[in-house]
Amino acid sequence: MKPTLILVALLALSGCATNHGLYEWGGYDALLYQSYKEPAGVPKNMQALAAHIGALEKGGKRVAPGLHADLGTMLLQAGDKDGALSNFRRERELWPESAVLMDAMIKNLETTSKAEVRS
Amino acid sequence: MKRLITLAAVALTAFLTGCATNVVKTDLSKFEAAKPRSILIVPAANKSLDVDAPNYLLTTLTVPLAEKGFYVFPVHTAKTVLEQEGLYEGDQIHKQPPEHLAKLFGADAVLYVTINQWDAKYVVLSTTVTVDFDYRLVGKDGTELWKANKRMVYSPQQQNTGHPLANLIAAAVTAAMERAKPNYMPLAQMANNDVFVWGATAIPNGPYAAKAN
Repeated sequence: MKPTLILVALLALSGCATNHGLYEWGGYDALLYQSYKEPAGVPKNMQALAAHIGALEKGGKRVAPGLHADLGTMLLQAGDKDGALSNFRRERELWPESAVLMDAMIKNLETTSKAEVRS
Repeated sequence: MKRLITLAAVALTAFLTGCATNVVKTDLSKFEAAKPRSILIVPAANKSLDVDAPNYLLTTLTVPLAEKGFYVFPVHTAKTVLEQEGLYEGDQIHKQPPEHLAKLFGADAVLYVTINQWDAKYVVLSTTVTVDFDYRLVGKDGTELWKANKRMVYSPQQQNTGHPLANLIAAAVTAAMERAKPNYMPLAQMANNDVFVWGATAIPNGPYAAKAN
């Protein structure tokens, strides 16, 4: 009886946290939490986030605010500049409100890449 | 007769409006005037003794605000950008002029959260876990648009909250507490949902909310 109740409660709770209806979050909040809690798990969490976003895009569903950008930042921190750039560009395309920040991130990456090529 | 019905209708309307305004509600006039489309969530100022609390709390704020229909800036990216600007601590960040932060990110509003309490007290037979947050939303021109405080206390003795959904969540909290280290996340999520969505301080919908709301 008790485990069933807890299961129901957890289902209800995850419903609250991830499914109000506008977006499919794919556990984005839990992935970030895990990444802060155990930095060793970042690569695994990053892959999970990338897979979730990929599935949404494939299905033609709108990706929630910030998902592409935070994946981009994680990729950048892991040294993948191209992956970061494409995610920042996609965030900007999907969400015009992100333009100032994404333009700054993109410009910053492009200039540092050029500097590296030159040096 | 017709006039009487009209009078009755007017009286009834007045009565209904009376009822509606009697409910204590947060003043949302500034929020509604500013009509923010986007919200920048900056790392929380921490008055608790748990150094991890600000990072953990940061991960719980995006979902409820985005589901209210706002563009929410990527919290991990924003945190990283602020660190590159030399701003590591919530205290420091909260001292920056909001206008400056809003301009740096191109945000319509900035959400500041202060963690007043985030702790677990162990007694022989029970554990009491408490979170207490001050929330403040400031517009890009520096005007305060909205504020709220939320305190959530969990202890095994007080599970019947009278609210069925809250009871379910309390049960989930119980499950989390069964681990050696308490998981504050359900309490933090509950506090956030309460101030933004369910409670008397609930904020208006943002531009991406379903039209029906």
